[in-house]
Amino acid sequence: MSGERACFAGVDIGSAFIKAVLVSRQKILASAMRPSGGRYRETAGDVLETALAQAGLSRERLAGIVVTGVGADSAPFPARSVSDISCQARGCRFHFPSARTVIDIGGQFTKAARLNTEGRVADFLISEKCAAGSGRFLQIMARILQIEWEEIGPLSLKSKTPVEFSTNCAVFAESETVSRLAEGARPEDLLAGVHRAVAAKVAMQAKRLKMEPEAVLTGGGAEDAGLVRAVSEALGLEVLVPEKPRLTAALGAACLAEENQP
Amino acid sequence: MPFAGIDIGSTMTKAVITDGEGKVLGSIIGPTGAEHRHLALQVMGEALDKTGLVLEALDFIVATGYGRINVPFADKQITEITCHARGIRALFPTARTVIDIGGQDSKGIKLDAGGKVINFVMNDKCAAGTGRFLEVIADSLGIPLAEMGDLSLTAKEAVSISNTCTVFAEHEVTSRLAEGVGIPEIIAGLHAAIAGRVVNLVRTLGIQKDVAVTGGGAMNIGLIRAVENQVGFPVLVPAEPLLTGALGAALLGMDFTARGVVPNRARKLEGVTFFQ
Repeated sequence: MSGERACFAGVDIGSAFIKAVLVSRQKILASAMRPSGGRYRETAGDVLETALAQAGLSRERLAGIVVTGVGADSAPFPARSVSDISCQARGCRFHFPSARTVIDIGGQFTKAARLNTEGRVADFLISEKCAAGSGRFLQIMARILQIEWEEIGPLSLKSKTPVEFSTNCAVFAESETVSRLAEGARPEDLLAGVHRAVAAKVAMQAKRLKMEPEAVLTGGGAEDAGLVRAVSEALGLEVLVPEKPRLTAALGAACLAEENQP
Repeated sequence: MPFAGIDIGSTMTKAVITDGEGKVLGSIIGPTGAEHRHLALQVMGEALDKTGLVLEALDFIVATGYGRINVPFADKQITEITCHARGIRALFPTARTVIDIGGQDSKGIKLDAGGKVINFVMNDKCAAGTGRFLEVIADSLGIPLAEMGDLSLTAKEAVSISNTCTVFAEHEVTSRLAEGVGIPEIIAGLHAAIAGRVVNLVRTLGIQKDVAVTGGGAMNIGLIRAVENQVGFPVLVPAEPLLTGALGAALLGMDFTARGVVPNRARKLEGVTFFQ
């Protein structure tokens, strides 16, 4: 490979989406993302090929691959597997080198990690027991209000009087939303109320971790401006949001592939 | 001397009318539903129709359930804990532990030898371990709630459902179906999950024999079997588990009357509101 830069891939095989990022000398070359459709093996291969095609590279140019995410074991190519928390941490530090706390609000689970000054994961928490602080709660709300996921954030930001829910449970909140709507509550106020509820739960998690600034919010949840604001308010600090928050784990995986070659 | 109990639950509204000895003359069960106005009066009216009595003929009316404050014609409001305990005492005098699996909450009640409430524990914060859990899953499986019990009894084994949260469990059920696991096995697994959660809650009180299971959850034979599996012995189940609270309410009215408590005669008969 003389004269040509070695390039590295990170592939994040998530339950909802599969993402791939290519890096070389700490620069992003290309990225791709596709719904996993429950077919981790095939889709992971496709997503990696898409990213390679985008960068105009052949498979042979890849000097190393790191896979992460729930489907990491299903990777159809030889790759090293690294936990998604480590990958998220590395990806967030790529964008924000001073980050000490990473909060990942994914489609199912919410994860929070505290990093040491070198960016290594010092401690982390995963909330997988309860949907209260998760992206699923917001998906449920979008369904009841019959709006697209992308509309949630902007709509919520319009709220002046967020609804206060009597429950944290996503299931009970669903029925409460239906009765509040019947009583004439506005969708933006309901969404802002849900954002507050999710943010309160996330903040509780971050406090248990003894979070330190700066804090980065990543994962699909970070695309929701209403949630970003609510989390910032609940934490009492302005959270940082990476450019493509769904890709940070794949990006971190690619960086780790480049940094930790055997 | 007739008495009435009305139990406005989160999901169902129940009314029971008894004679002076506590024998049931008539009862009614209807959905609490979205139209809450006039609900309490309407349900009470339907129960009265079954007995041929009029509201004015009732000696004492007790309201219970979480909508109990919205029954203006009631002479007294009493918590569902006390009412369930009283209902169970009449049905099963030997019961020392009551497990109530309701539509939106679940409770454990510990009784002394005389049937008085010593302690209770309640979950209304999380849908797991409540009827709501089953409702959500039945809905996503497209199976009527009433068929879940019998269906689960045909299972060869119960698959393990690892998620406690209703939202995550729903997702897990979909994955299990995709893996080819049979519906009866999945439902049996869900019953085991709910039973585990409820029994763990009640264990904090100390489970003492006999155990009676009541509420809508007790209408599900699969769930009853799963609870028995958890506690390790057979449990008692009323013939009409949904009516336990309303029956207890009526009997408490009878108790008050026996102690010489005179009800407020200025019963308001106009429509009532719920949640408003």
